[in-house]
Amino acid sequence: MLKRTRQYKPLKKLPVGKGRIVLVLLFFAVALSGWGYLSNGVETGTYNLAYPANFGNRINIPADNPTTKQGVYLGRMLFYEPKLSATNTVSCANCHKQEKAFTDGLPFSKGIDEVLTTRSSMSLANLLWARKFFWDGRATGLEVQAMVPLTNPHEMGQSLEISAKKLSKAPGYPALFKLVYGDKKITGDRIVKAISQFERTLISSNSRYDKYLNNTYKPTAEEMDGMLLFNSDPQPEIGIRGANCAHCHGGVKNYMELFHNNGLDSIPKDAGIAEFTGLATDEGRFKVPTLRNIALTAPYMHDGRFKTLDEVLDHYSEHIQESAGLSTFLRNESNEPGGTSLKLEYYEKKEIIAFLNMLTDSTFITDPAFADPRLRPAQHRKS
Amino acid sequence: MPIRVCDLLSIEKVNTTIPMKKQFIVAFIALISFTTPFITRAQTAEKQATIKVSGEVTTPLTIDAAYLQKFTPTTVVRKDRDGNDHTYTGVTVAEILKSAGVTLGPELKGENLTKYLAVEASDGYQVIFALAELDKAFTDRAIILATTVDGKSLAPGDGPYRIIVQDEKKPARCIKQVTAMSVHFIK
Ligand code: HEC
Ligand code: HEC
Repeated sequence: MLKRTRQYKPLKKLPVGKGRIVLVLLFFAVALSGWGYLSNGVETGTYNLAYPANFGNRINIPADNPTTKQGVYLGRMLFYEPKLSATNTVSCANCHKQEKAFTDGLPFSKGIDEVLTTRSSMSLANLLWARKFFWDGRATGLEVQAMVPLTNPHEMGQSLEISAKKLSKAPGYPALFKLVYGDKKITGDRIVKAISQFERTLISSNSRYDKYLNNTYKPTAEEMDGMLLFNSDPQPEIGIRGANCAHCHGGVKNYMELFHNNGLDSIPKDAGIAEFTGLATDEGRFKVPTLRNIALTAPYMHDGRFKTLDEVLDHYSEHIQESAGLSTFLRNESNEPGGTSLKLEYYEKKEIIAFLNMLTDSTFITDPAFADPRLRPAQHRKS
Repeated sequence: MPIRVCDLLSIEKVNTTIPMKKQFIVAFIALISFTTPFITRAQTAEKQATIKVSGEVTTPLTIDAAYLQKFTPTTVVRKDRDGNDHTYTGVTVAEILKSAGVTLGPELKGENLTKYLAVEASDGYQVIFALAELDKAFTDRAIILATTVDGKSLAPGDGPYRIIVQDEKKPARCIKQVTAMSVHFIK
């Protein structure tokens, strides 16, 4: 079910007169494909973004930054490049580690100094389908998103101009930029474009849940019950139990790009999107994050307040806090008539957690194509 | 904590290699990202929600309660999730779009029939309507932008503006907390 951008048609019987033209064309094709393996073994050409058909094609690639193999390779080098920080010690990967689905396991993260980030690091998976970035969705594209950590005084703390200068002097980079952009000029714009190309390739589509949707995995009874609860509205009047998670976290990608207040606080310390909309009903509203690889991305929520999925389930089950911004999807949703929180049974929480564990994609966190290219050879995702 | 001057200065230094237009975007995003923790929450309380009308329009609009006053109110009765009838009052969506210069009425023919209205809510949820679904010459089914239910303002989680689609069985397109309406051609 993989979507391919290139199609090879088998050569069929050709009319005699056209044979020669085909031969000439073939010659050119072979000559051109030779170019595909230019300098230091970096493959070039259009990058094949392969993903399952059920993910849909509402993907987000700006017209001025098409995804190429050489661009993705450069972006991957830059993602793991500490020279992009003022202290030469911090790269994107400090706070976005592959083995943790590109989070860092901390409530708040440390950059070049002692001042921690104000929100928790986010998982980077299936960003190809995202349109708004950060916990409050304030960045409208990966390219502008990348400029923020690069230049934030406490994260990487270096102007794009200095980054460009440093890279111009670093061995290998001028040639790579030439391979990607046609000339050796290194600019901030070219840096963030390449990083974004790499981020778009971070596709996670091989969890047990994907395999279940593909009819190649049979869930356990516990996973099945958890999935049912996850997807159902509680209706105590007619005896249907549910956890209503899919309203906000549903869909095959486990991500829907919604912004909600999920009842963490009655007076939110961090106002979320209300900081720029100024509306009382937006207080404490944050991006509904992806649940893909959720078992690997603790601690949870924008401030990393919950250490385990058990704590998350306890929150939804017993501790929803009323406020002006609280989502209507969490108001009066309960398995008890008249209840204000879900009121799940102990074993139901365990079933939901079993389902959440189905969303872990071990291929994604071990794929060498996403790892530091200095540690692993130049390699592309084979699919 | 005040915004420190050095934070602002570093924004200027950052962007010397990027084209002008991008500089503003970067400066804006950087500014937001540096200052968000410092903005006091007192500012957030009183602001009123509005709806942006954009896309294939001759006059882009920003609609608020006062703007809606100039239209004749329309009423639609619809069953809610609770199974009971509720009376919604508001303005026909087509009237609002006409005031923005959208091709409805006699102009809704030919390629204009390939246009749709995308409606977005404050949580990012989106639904679409073909323009023909909204036009009286095509259908008697009313689609309104409601502001009241059973004579009262909509609940904060539903309003202040909600689309109500007469007789539609599922409530999924009765989109709540509407913040934007835009008209587009299919690609
Ligand atoms: C010091 C830690 C740190 C570093 C270094 C860092 N990030 Fe992040 N990243 C975060 C935090 C924290 C957030 C959430 C911030 C927020 O919402 O305000 C985040 C959010 C993101 C997001 C948004 C994801 C989403 O789903 O909306 C992307 C994309 C991202 N980072 C990419 C990068 C890239 C690319 C780099 C390197 C150029 C980078 N990060 C460097 C900590 C870091
Ligand atoms: C009203 C929408 C909504 C519903 C319903 C909902 N969530 Fe959430 N969920 C959110 C939002 C918003 C966040 C992020 C909140 C924050 O950090 O302030 C979140 C965060 C989470 C996180 C942490 C993600 C991370 O990366 O830190 C988990 C796990 C989670 N939800 C699981 C569930 C489960 C399980 C259910 C059903 C019992 C559920 N959610 C129901 C909106 C919702």
